[in-house]
Amino acid sequence: MILPFYQALTEDVQALSAQVSAPAATALHDIRRKALERFTAIGLPSLKTEAWRYTNIQRYLKEFPYELLTTATPVSAAVAESKAIPELDCYRVVLVNGHLQADQSVLPEGKGITIGAMSAHTTAPGFAHFNQQPHLAGESLAQLNTALFADGLYIELAANTVLDKPIHIIHVYSATAHAFIQPRHLWVLNRSAAATIIESSVHPETATVAFANSVLETVVMENAELWHYNVQQGEESFREVHTTAAQQYKDSRYHHFNFTLPNTPFTRNNLSVALNGSHTETNLNGLYIANKHQHVDNHTFMDHIMPDCNSNELYKGVLLDDANGVFTGKILVHQEAQKTNAFQQNNNLLLGSKADINSQPQLEIYADDVKCSHGFTAGQFSEESMFYLRSRGIGEDAAKALMVNAFSHDITDAIKVPALQHHLQEQIAEIMNN
Amino acid sequence: MINSNEIIDDIANKEYEFGFSTDIEMDMAPPGLNEDIIRFISAKKNEPEWLLEWRLKGFAAFKKMEFPKWQHFEMPELDLQALSYYAAPKQKKQLNSLDEVDPELLATFEKLGIPLNEQKALTGVAVDAVFDSVSVATTFKGKLKEMGVIFCSFGEAVQEHPELVKKYLGSVVPHTDNIFAALNAAVFSDGSFVYIPKGVRCPMELSTYFRINAQNTGQFERTLIIADDNSYVSYLEGCTAPMRDENQLHAAVVELVAMEQAEIKYSTVQNWYPGDKDGKGGIYNFVTKRGICKGTSSKISWTQVETGSAITWKYPSVILQGDYAEGEFYSVAVVRNKQIADTGTKIHHIGKGTKSRIISKGISAGRGDNSYRGLVSVGPRAENARNFTQCDSLLIGNQCGSHTFPYIESRNKTAMIEHEATTSKIGEDQIFYLNQRGIDSEKAVALIVNGYVKEVLNQLPMEFAVEAQKLLSITLEGSVG
Repeated sequence: MILPFYQALTEDVQALSAQVSAPAATALHDIRRKALERFTAIGLPSLKTEAWRYTNIQRYLKEFPYELLTTATPVSAAVAESKAIPELDCYRVVLVNGHLQADQSVLPEGKGITIGAMSAHTTAPGFAHFNQQPHLAGESLAQLNTALFADGLYIELAANTVLDKPIHIIHVYSATAHAFIQPRHLWVLNRSAAATIIESSVHPETATVAFANSVLETVVMENAELWHYNVQQGEESFREVHTTAAQQYKDSRYHHFNFTLPNTPFTRNNLSVALNGSHTETNLNGLYIANKHQHVDNHTFMDHIMPDCNSNELYKGVLLDDANGVFTGKILVHQEAQKTNAFQQNNNLLLGSKADINSQPQLEIYADDVKCSHGFTAGQFSEESMFYLRSRGIGEDAAKALMVNAFSHDITDAIKVPALQHHLQEQIAEIMNN
Repeated sequence: MINSNEIIDDIANKEYEFGFSTDIEMDMAPPGLNEDIIRFISAKKNEPEWLLEWRLKGFAAFKKMEFPKWQHFEMPELDLQALSYYAAPKQKKQLNSLDEVDPELLATFEKLGIPLNEQKALTGVAVDAVFDSVSVATTFKGKLKEMGVIFCSFGEAVQEHPELVKKYLGSVVPHTDNIFAALNAAVFSDGSFVYIPKGVRCPMELSTYFRINAQNTGQFERTLIIADDNSYVSYLEGCTAPMRDENQLHAAVVELVAMEQAEIKYSTVQNWYPGDKDGKGGIYNFVTKRGICKGTSSKISWTQVETGSAITWKYPSVILQGDYAEGEFYSVAVVRNKQIADTGTKIHHIGKGTKSRIISKGISAGRGDNSYRGLVSVGPRAENARNFTQCDSLLIGNQCGSHTFPYIESRNKTAMIEHEATTSKIGEDQIFYLNQRGIDSEKAVALIVNGYVKEVLNQLPMEFAVEAQKLLSITLEGSVG
C-alpha cells in the first residue's frame, strides 16, 4: 500500500483506523486504538510544537509518498555483517524492519533469559510494562508507533540473571519503495539482573528512503544494571526518530550512550528516564558528529520523581560543514525528590562555516534540598591549542583530528566494552581525516 | 535561638510593608476598551493625528492577538473591558515649583523615602515623578536643558519634540510585538522621554518614580530613551504601590536606542504590591522592555531587582545590531508567598564582535515560583560574538519552585557562548559555620542572601543599591531587618 503519508496521517485517519483494528482479537487492540486517538488529537509535530521548535520533521515526511511497511523483506546476511564491530565477542540479534531473523542471529540462551519477537511474547510477565512509561503519552510519534507497530525485540532477564556477553542488535531497514517503518521493543531487567546491549542500524538500499520511527522501552528493576549503547552511523537514504523511554526502580543503574555519526540526514533521539525508585544512578552520554546538511536533534528528559537519586548527563557535539545540531535537556525534580543530584552539560564545537547549534538546557525544580546544574558551551578550537600543536610540526588537519579526539574523549573513555571503544575511536579519527 | 524553620516560615509569610494609598481626586475615563476610549485619551492629551492613527493601528493589532500560552504559570483571567484606561490627577495647570504640588502627594513620596523638596540639595538626582499617568513635578530641568538633554513626560515630548517621538516611537517595540505591547500602543497614558544629544554625558542619574494608585486603572506607561552618538545616560526606575485587593494590570513598554558609542544604563527596583500571603490581590507586571544598540561600540545595560508584584513577567532585551556593541543583563528576582516571576532576557547578536553578559539570581521562598527564561541568539554575521550567562537559583523552603529555560542559538562558528545554571539551597553547613562565629541563624540567612546577590546589586547606582539592599532585607529576612 503506497499512500501520500503526510496527508494520510493528517486527513485520512479512517484508513489507518481500519488498519489498526485488523488484529482485533489481540489484547493490544484497545491500546492501539487509544494511541491512534491520541496521535490524531496531538497531530504531527510542527515548528510550533515547543519540543520540536528547531526540528521540522514535516520537511522529511511530506516530500513523497511513503509505504507504511509492516513486513520484513529478505536481506542477505552480508548486510548485517557490514555493521559488525571488529573483535567484539557478543551475541547477535538481526532484525529486518523490526522482525527477528533467527537464522542470522546468535541468541543468548540459558535459565532466566527470554529473548525473541515482541509479537510472540505479549503474554510474558514482563509485557505488563508495555506502554507504561509515563512520557510516551505526550509524544505523538510514539503514539503513532504504538498504534501501528508490527514487531520488535522483546528481552526479559529474570531476577539475578547476568549476561556473560554483550548483545549486539543490528536493525536492518530494507524496502523496495520509500518506507515508513515502526519497530517497537521492550527490554525488562528484573531484580539484580545485568546486561550490556549495543544497537546499530543499516539501510542497504540507496535509491529508496527508509524512515524509522522506533520506540524502545527499557525497564530496569531493583538493583539491576543496564549498559546501553546506541550507535547511529547510517546512510544518506536513512532517516530516524528514535524514542527511548526508560524506567528505573530502587537502587538500579542505567548507563545510556548515544553516538550519532555522519551521513544520516535526519536523526531525532527522544530519550527520557523516569525514576520510580530512590537511590538510583543514571548516566546519559551522547556524542554527535554531523556533516553536510545533517540535522541531529537530541531531546532528553530526566524525570526525578523519587528522592536520593543521582543523574549525570553529558552531550558533546562536533558540527562540520552545514550541519545543524539541536540539544534539549530537561531535568524535572518533583517536590518529593529531595536530595537529588542532577547534572547536565552540553558542549559543542562548531567547525563548519554554516554549522549551527540550538540548545535548550532546562531545569524545573520543585524541591529545595537538591543540587542541580547545567552548563552549555559553543565555540571552536582555541587558537592557543592549535598554535601549540602546529608549532610542534603537526599539520592543521591532523591537529584538528587530535583535538576532536580529545574533545570526545570524555564520552568514549566511559565506554566499558573495549572493542566498541576502539571501534568508535577509529571511526571518529576516520571522519576527521576525511 | 530561633530555629531555622521558624525563620523560613517568617520569611515566607511576611506581608507587604509599603501598603498605603493616597486619596486624591482622579479624573477617570469610564471603564472599557474601544476605539472611542482611544480617541478620548488622544484628545485629552491633545495629540497630533499621526499618533492617534498609530494608537488605532496598535488597537487593530491587539484585537487580532490572543494571550500567550507558553508561560510557566497559569494566566490569570484578565477582564480588559473592566479597566479604566485613563486616570489623571485633576489639577492640570502647569506647576512652577514644588510648593504647588498637592501636599498629600508629597506626603506619599515622603513615605516612600523620596522627599522631592529635599532631592535637589541632597542627592543631585532629577526626579520626574509620575503619579498615575501624568507627570506633576519635574525638577532639574533647567540644568539638563543647558546641556541639551531632554527629560520630560511622554505627553510633553509629543507636544514639543514630535519629530523625535515620531522617528523612534515603536522602532524597537513595534505595535505588533506582543499582545501587551499592542495594548500599550493603543492606550498608553504617559511615561518618560529622554534624549541625550551627541557627545553629552548626562551629568546626573535620571530617575522616575512610578506609582500605581487609582483602583482599577491599569497603567500603560511608555518610556523612550534615545542616546545619540558618544553620549551616556543612567536611568533609574523604581516602584512601590499601595495595598489593594483587586489585581491591577501593568503593561508598560520601554524602548531604548543607543547610537554610535553611546551607553544607556537602565536600572529598575520593582516593589509593587505582591498580594497577601494567600496570593490574593497584587499587581500583574507584564512589561515589554527592549533596547537596540544601533551604532558601533554602543552599550545597553539592564539591571533589575524584582521583589514585588503577584506576577512579574518580562524579558528586558538587547538587540546588538552595531558592530562591537555590548549588552548586559543583571537581575535579582525574589518570590515568596504565592508570587510568580517569569523573567529573563533576550540578546540578539547581529553585528560582529558583539558581546553580552547575563547574570541572573533567583530567590524562591514560601510557595513562590521563579523562572529564568532567556534567549541568546548569534546570527551568521556576528563574527567573534561572545556571550556569558550565569543563572543561579536559591531555594528557601520545600514548597517553592525554581526553573531555568534558556534558549541558545548559534549560527556562527566563531562565536563563543557559555551558559551555566545552578540550583541549591542555603547549606546547613554554611549556617552552622556562621552560628559558630556567634552570628544567629536569622542574620546568617541575611548575610548569605546578600552575598549571593551582591554581583547584581553592585551594578546599581549607589543610591539605588542602598534602597535595593534595604528592600531585600525587608522582603526576605523577616524580622531580621
